[in-house]
Amino acid sequence: MNSGTADPPGDLIEDYLDRLLVSLSGSPRQVRHTLAEVEAHLRDAVAEGMAAGLPEETAQAQALERIGPVHAVTGRPAVLTSPSRALLRRITLTCALVGGAGLVAIGGAGLMGRLLQALKGNLFMTTPFPPGTYTRADCARWLAGDPGSRSCVTAMLADHAFDYLLQATACGLLGLLVLAAYLILRRRWSDRATTTALPVGTAELLGAALAGVAAVFFLAQVADLETVQHGVGVGQPLSLGIAAAVAAMAFALGFRRCLRAARLRAA
Amino acid sequence: MQAEKLKGHLDLLLLSVLSRGPGHGYEVITRLNAHSDGAFDLPEGTVYPALHRLEGAGLLASTWDVVAGRRRRIYRLTLAGEAALADQAAQWRAFSGSMSRVLGASAFRVLRFPAFRANGTGLAAGTQLAGGAA
Repeated sequence: MNSGTADPPGDLIEDYLDRLLVSLSGSPRQVRHTLAEVEAHLRDAVAEGMAAGLPEETAQAQALERIGPVHAVTGRPAVLTSPSRALLRRITLTCALVGGAGLVAIGGAGLMGRLLQALKGNLFMTTPFPPGTYTRADCARWLAGDPGSRSCVTAMLADHAFDYLLQATACGLLGLLVLAAYLILRRRWSDRATTTALPVGTAELLGAALAGVAAVFFLAQVADLETVQHGVGVGQPLSLGIAAAVAAMAFALGFRRCLRAARLRAA
Repeated sequence: MQAEKLKGHLDLLLLSVLSRGPGHGYEVITRLNAHSDGAFDLPEGTVYPALHRLEGAGLLASTWDVVAGRRRRIYRLTLAGEAALADQAAQWRAFSGSMSRVLGASAFRVLRFPAFRANGTGLAAGTQLAGGAA
């Protein structure tokens, strides 16, 4: 389709083929083949009309009238070839990418938290409950979970730190599953209508914005804890803040790459 | 013929057209129009999903070739397609024969006894059944 030169203005056949291209579903090969078939069909019909003495524009209009609307060629009802379905798919892909990457970032925070726990201890990772807010039964449960602890507070800190690391690891694993689903769906929904339903780099920009806000939020918490509690419990927001900042940078780089690729394609 | 009515028989028509020799999409439509004296008038684009579906079902096979300077997908009937055509054509002939017999009998009555046309009961106004009470 793209000959490297500008399309002639008002070419009805080219307009029709553009609409068909964004409505076709299937593998890239199926899309290319159907497009080639239909283009050959339309060019034949136009040539026939012109041979019968029609002006080119009339012959094109007649050829398009005979072939019917785009959904006649796609074989699907018009509602299924509408942009709304493609948009829904694109939004699903965007949510899967942003959500999956976010969960993986939390998993990364968990790994970082484990490192911080090993280096700085449980008091750095979590804040103990104030005295009087927990019962003897709570203490017994925490001590049973960490028999090596010498006090209730130490066992409580170990329990809380363990919970945080466990939940972060679970989020990371869930994120990997979501990203795997994203890759499968992206391959399945590789039609042009879906890939162009949202502006280039939307997912990356959204991910960078959300992760950036999360990074600022958690790092502000770190500053607050440093000031108010002198570093107690800083580990959790610090690991989450660093992971969010890394995710924001990765998304920002992805966004820049998308823009650059789009500019190259346009050129 | 209405496009909706035709769609139900499109597979059979396409198999039949391609049984006379391989052809590309535009050629198939041209042949279909020529053989039906222009009676089968449906949006030409509808043949492509049908051709692709028949190919997916193994009834057609396609190859790419350059014809008259354009790259074209040439469809031809497979052995399974020939068998399906024979089967569907036999079914259609049986159905068509039955329809013709029913319609033929009605047409004969309408022509032979114009009263059938008058009120749809087969009885003209004021006509009594033979042997009925006076």
